[in-house]
Order: sequence, then structure tokens, then C-alpha cells
Amino acid sequence: MVISLLSLLLLLVLIVIPVRAYAILLPNRPKPRTGPSKLAVFLGSGGHTSESLQLLRALPFTRYYPRLYITSSLDTLSIQKATSLESSLAPSLPPHAQQHTFLVLPRARRVHQPFWATPPTAIWSLVVAVWELSIRPALRGQACSDLLLLNGPGTCVPLLAAVYTSKFLALPAPRTIYVESFARVSSLSLSAKLVRPFVDRFVVQWPQAMGKGRGECRGWLV
Amino acid sequence: MPTAFVTVGSTKFTPLIKAVVFDDCLKALKRAGYDTLVVQCGNSDVEPGKWSAQGVSVDVWRFAPSIQSFVETAGLVISHAGSGTILDVLRAGKPLIAVPNTSLMDNHQAELANALSKQGYLTASTPETLPQVIAAFSPNHLAPFPAFDGSKFLNIVDEEMGYM
Repeated sequence: MVISLLSLLLLLVLIVIPVRAYAILLPNRPKPRTGPSKLAVFLGSGGHTSESLQLLRALPFTRYYPRLYITSSLDTLSIQKATSLESSLAPSLPPHAQQHTFLVLPRARRVHQPFWATPPTAIWSLVVAVWELSIRPALRGQACSDLLLLNGPGTCVPLLAAVYTSKFLALPAPRTIYVESFARVSSLSLSAKLVRPFVDRFVVQWPQAMGKGRGECRGWLV
Repeated sequence: MPTAFVTVGSTKFTPLIKAVVFDDCLKALKRAGYDTLVVQCGNSDVEPGKWSAQGVSVDVWRFAPSIQSFVETAGLVISHAGSGTILDVLRAGKPLIAVPNTSLMDNHQAELANALSKQGYLTASTPETLPQVIAAFSPNHLAPFPAFDGSKFLNIVDEEMGYM
């Protein structure tokens, strides 16, 4: 009994994990698509929220719907701003393209929270993100969205970890785009450095911010 | 009544607010033709209120649901160098003096203000040099800020989602 359990575990460690890791790290090219795309966007508060909503104004909502707005707890202002964007565009949209919902996540790290106190809050944020964005949608047989748009700060790291959980478990997962803030002229934020190797598209808005590594700059996007 | 509008968003930027209501700045504003100064001071350590000094009527308050209308009626905006505020003011086509808040942690306000100032879209200042910067400020020398162009980001997203 113990031996068979151990060998099962060994099988898992030696075969399943490397196979899944290999599968999710393979280049993952976009497939041609004609129907609409479900869009999830993280509103990171303050300037991050303004930038994310400005980026959304570039997208035709008749193609990118329904929309899921993800905010951190205590950030009601971002929900207000998203609601006001939605209601300003609603009159020009057919009812199906007006669909949008909100998801509030615990913060990975509060402003001024000491660095030593970050791990517990970050782990809780990760657990909720995995449940809401990976496990729960999968139980309904779908991905949380087709695209996840990130602009920083910290909480976008657990969000990306949730996407990778889905990929690892071979569940449907969104494609991911990280757009570095317009405020980062000559260096990257910590969030950007952390997500850079893992997102499908990594975009900066000032050429000097790119440094060495993958990504692209097409000038100002906001 | 030509108005200068000062805004620091939701932040605390006491040195800027203290500098701007100080006599030297008020004199410089008056000389530049402004007789009204409206100050959105956010969480700065100052007492909101209304008064007059150096021929300028000053109105200091903390927050408003939207500062859009204040930006639109102002002839000059002086703000912290937060990217959201800078974009809002420049897109409203208003002459801007941006003052980086150097007390913030992980601060990149100075970088952004200097980069945009180098391209001629705004003038960067410090709280200490504000009177001289206001005195030397000429809005006509600023370059018009490019309008929002969504096509670049739409292309990126459409490529990524397989629409092209």
C-alpha cells in the first residue's frame, strides 16, 4: 500500500510535473479567431486604474465582451471609474456587449505595509485569485476570460500565478498582456520584472524602459 | 478672473501646497496675470480655507468628486507629477507646471516630469523654485500634447487574440 502510494508519487514527480511544465512553457501562438473575446482587466488603483481604463477605450466593446473588472479590496474608486466608463459607452452598445462584472480580490500588499509582512497577505491573495480565476470557472467548464490585461502593481502577480495554475492543470486559461505604466520612463517596476518572462505579451511605453529582455515598445499607448 | 489651479490628487504633498500659497508664489502668479488660486490639497498637512493675499484670492480644499471642471476653467495648472494627473491636464490642453513629489517611496515622478519637460510638453519645477518658474513660465513655448491614439494598443490586442 505504502509502496504503491510512493511509486504513484514518484510517477507524478518524475513524469507528470515535467510534462506539464514543458507543455506550458512551449511557445503558445495565437489561433485565428472570429467570435468575441471575454476580457478580464485588473484595475490596480490610482494611475494604474486610469491607464487600464484608457487602454480599454482603444478596444471595440462589441468584440471584447463580457468584461470582468478585477479590483483590490478597499478600492471602491476603481469600481466607480469602471462603472462610469461602462455607462458612458452603454448607449452605443447592443445589450450583449454591455455585459460586465466585478471581482474584488484581497490585496497582495497594502501601501506602506512592511516588506516582512508581505508573504501572508500575498499568499491569501494568491489563494483567492486561484479559486476565482482558475478553479471556479473550470468547474463551469470555461476560462475566466480569453484575455487578461495587466498594468501593475503587486496584485497582478497572484493573478498571473492563477493563470499558470490553470495552465499547469490543463484547464482553459486566458492569454495575458502586461502593459508597463506610462510613468516608467527608464526602468521597470518590480511587478513588471516579475511577470516579464511569463506573460504572452510584454509591452512598455518608453523605449529606455525596455532594458534587456523580451518585450516590445510601440510608444505611448494611453 | 484668470485662475491658477493646483492639484495633488489623493496624495500628501505638503511642501508644494505650502510653497504655492506663500507670498513669493502669490506675487509671481499676480504678476503673471492670475488673481485667483484654487488649491486641491488632498491629504497634505495644511488647513483648508479661503483668504486673500498679494492681490490673489486663495481657496484651499481637500477633495472634489471630479477635478475635470477645475482643470478646464484654469489658465494654468500646477500639479504633482503623477502620471494620471499629467495625462488629464495635458489632454485638456492646459499649460502645466509639474512638481515631482520626491518624498514618495519607489518614486518615478521626477523621471516622468523631466522626460516630458525635455520634449516640451510641460515645465518641471521643485517646490523651492516655484516662484521663479512661474515668473519665467510662458505657455506659448509648450508643445501641443498628442491626442489619444488607440490604434497601437488595439493592434497589439487584436494580434494577440488572433483577429488578424
